[in-house]
Amino acid sequence: MDARLTEEHQRVQETARDFIESEGGMELVRRQLNGEDVVDRLWDELAELDYTAITVPLEHGGFGEGMVYLSALLEAAGRYALPGPLPETAAFAAPLISDLGNEEQKSAYLPAIADGNCKVSVAVYDDETEPLPESVQLRAAPVETNDGTGYRLDGTKTLVPYGGDADTVIVAARTRDSQGYDGISLFLVDTAHDAVDAKQLDSLDWVRPMYELTFDNLTVGPDALLGPLHGGGGPLVDAVDRYSVAAIAMLTGAADRAVELSSEYGNEREQYGQPIGMFQAVKHRAADMWIDMQSARSLVYYASWALDNDEPDAGRAVAATKSHAADRLHRVFADDMKNHGGMGFTWDHDAHIYLKQAKSWRNFLGSPEAYRDRLIESRLAESE
Amino acid sequence: MDFSYTDAQESFRDELRVWLEENLPDGWLDGERELPSDDDERLAFLRDWQRTLADGDWAGIHWPEAYGGRGASLVEQTIYREEMARVNAPPQVNVIGINLVGPTLIEAGTEEQKSRFVPNILSGEEIWCQGYSEPEAGSDVASLTTRAERNGDEWVINGQKIWTSYAHNADWCLLVTRTDSSGEKHEGLTVLLVDMNQEGVETDPIHQANDDRSFNQVYFNDAITTSDLVLGEVDEGWDIVMTLSAYEHAMTSIYTIEQRYLDLLEYCKTETRGGTPLIEKPEIRQQLADFDARIQAAKVSHYRNVSKQIETGRPGPEGSMDLVVSDELRIDLLNFAVDVQGPATSLWENGDAAFDETTGYLRSYGSWIAAGTGDIQRNIIGERVLGLPKDKKSKTSHRSE
Repeated sequence: MDARLTEEHQRVQETARDFIESEGGMELVRRQLNGEDVVDRLWDELAELDYTAITVPLEHGGFGEGMVYLSALLEAAGRYALPGPLPETAAFAAPLISDLGNEEQKSAYLPAIADGNCKVSVAVYDDETEPLPESVQLRAAPVETNDGTGYRLDGTKTLVPYGGDADTVIVAARTRDSQGYDGISLFLVDTAHDAVDAKQLDSLDWVRPMYELTFDNLTVGPDALLGPLHGGGGPLVDAVDRYSVAAIAMLTGAADRAVELSSEYGNEREQYGQPIGMFQAVKHRAADMWIDMQSARSLVYYASWALDNDEPDAGRAVAATKSHAADRLHRVFADDMKNHGGMGFTWDHDAHIYLKQAKSWRNFLGSPEAYRDRLIESRLAESE
Repeated sequence: MDFSYTDAQESFRDELRVWLEENLPDGWLDGERELPSDDDERLAFLRDWQRTLADGDWAGIHWPEAYGGRGASLVEQTIYREEMARVNAPPQVNVIGINLVGPTLIEAGTEEQKSRFVPNILSGEEIWCQGYSEPEAGSDVASLTTRAERNGDEWVINGQKIWTSYAHNADWCLLVTRTDSSGEKHEGLTVLLVDMNQEGVETDPIHQANDDRSFNQVYFNDAITTSDLVLGEVDEGWDIVMTLSAYEHAMTSIYTIEQRYLDLLEYCKTETRGGTPLIEKPEIRQQLADFDARIQAAKVSHYRNVSKQIETGRPGPEGSMDLVVSDELRIDLLNFAVDVQGPATSLWENGDAAFDETTGYLRSYGSWIAAGTGDIQRNIIGERVLGLPKDKKSKTSHRSE
């Protein structure tokens, strides 16, 4: 029993912070907010530091590390709301391709991911208001191609994060009449294809813009099918679990920064002849922010470790992480806004950046309500 | 990072489990867990259990081996708490002696004090209480005014303490007194070990909101102790207060809360409303899941605090988070346990036989107040962890200022 990050994890966090600071820290996000796409150039730098290689297996040019390592890094990155599809690529895509891919697919994608030549995103939603798995409706119809049986995709996916930056998207589609997670198949689709069109949506979180991806009678070969035909639902759930924990790791780092901002301001800002942090209304709110942030961190660390070690309670830990953190971390950012008074409500203050990121994640790939329901299912299954 | 237990830690757990199966009171594991309702019989029962624990070396496991403990590591203490909670073990009647007074005596006492008192704490031969709070010194405990005056080889004590748990059963009191009021309030305090069985000491139980009487007012009227029973230095008792407080903040009750949650889960699986099991109702599931998540978070936070304490060698202000999180989780959980009873919420003893929710729900508010209220814990976090400016506080014990 040792619940601490190792020295190596701590070093990774320090290096990441030093690097992002050297790139301007929050200036990166500000540039992205102002409409400049900083992702491409930043991605090359992240690849230089091997961050894109962390979860790629050793035999494909990566580090072969798991969620604990990645979460430690993302926590540091989250302080700066670092733009780019790193959680999508490193938590969702790389482990999924490693688990499900055939040798050709692994050789085609994994070294490219590790080297920073392949940013991956996730295209699951057909409908912006339907949750998973009902929202997966796109049909992939079998068609004969020169290379064997391929698939035709005709329709539109929505809520694809960084859809315009991604080189590849993993698309969830139905390959037979089915409901739920049954009958879902996963496809690797390159966005450069002429039949793929990306349109940026008016997103709440401008740092992490959502896209609509239209497939206009796109035909893909047999090599696009990732994993078993009709059997992509289960692996999709596992990949979403890793991805959600990674996202909460970033939000935890952001919450850590928000607590710092509130603490600094509580000392600096004076009203009624004293620093506002002396008032218990502010002091106690800051203490609660810290408690919620630490609780989220605890859940992220345990869920990451449980996922890496295939612990029997891993699913329950993930459900706890997403359901507990989603609303409570949002409250941390809202409290940071409150502690800063009028300044906290300005565009120039960072509070709104974090707040929107948390809200954008709240229901994405599973609402807290849905995860709580799943948590009880897991709990009942464990006790039987 | 590794959340698994070593083989040695697992065999520690197994050893305790086997011992509990053999030594818990008859019928306890089968659910017969009623304590005698008569006060004297209950005290005898709990003293018996305390002695049984001591005989098996399962009282004060964190004490050094030289003093009859096991020198158990922090992780083993965590396992111990988890296993004791799992079987709903009877409370330790000398919990204050074992968890707080004993370790403080071992750390700060003279050799004579240690050999005189320490062995009798483990066995429950002598029950201890701690005399801290006063009617006018609650959260602001350093402003206390119970006086001790030197008279030759003796100290003469006059004043009043309040909220003193177990004082009505206690043989000895670790008493914080004021011996000098000329300086700042944290100065001029002296800790005395005081025999409770003397004419000058009178205890008066407080009737609590949960209809229990485990807290007391204690009156000292020319009570006497001897100068060899000063713990630490005269006028430097605040150091002792802080030593004991660190032991107090390093405790966690998350495992008993987890056990209550598991009991409640079981209740919701078997109880029906309108023919539907409670567990199938969406609003019940949502609530239970939220408790589950909060318990998971609190447990891991405790592991993280323990791991940090192993590294630094002392408990940090993070213990305040364990306290406030547990206290508020307990309040919410036991409120829910009462609420799901439906209209029977209006009745007192309406719960599952394993525990009485109503009493627990009421008592949970007392827990929030004890050992520093939730508000005080938030001050500690705000000031010592986040570095926010301290409240304006009186520096002396003179209340008119």
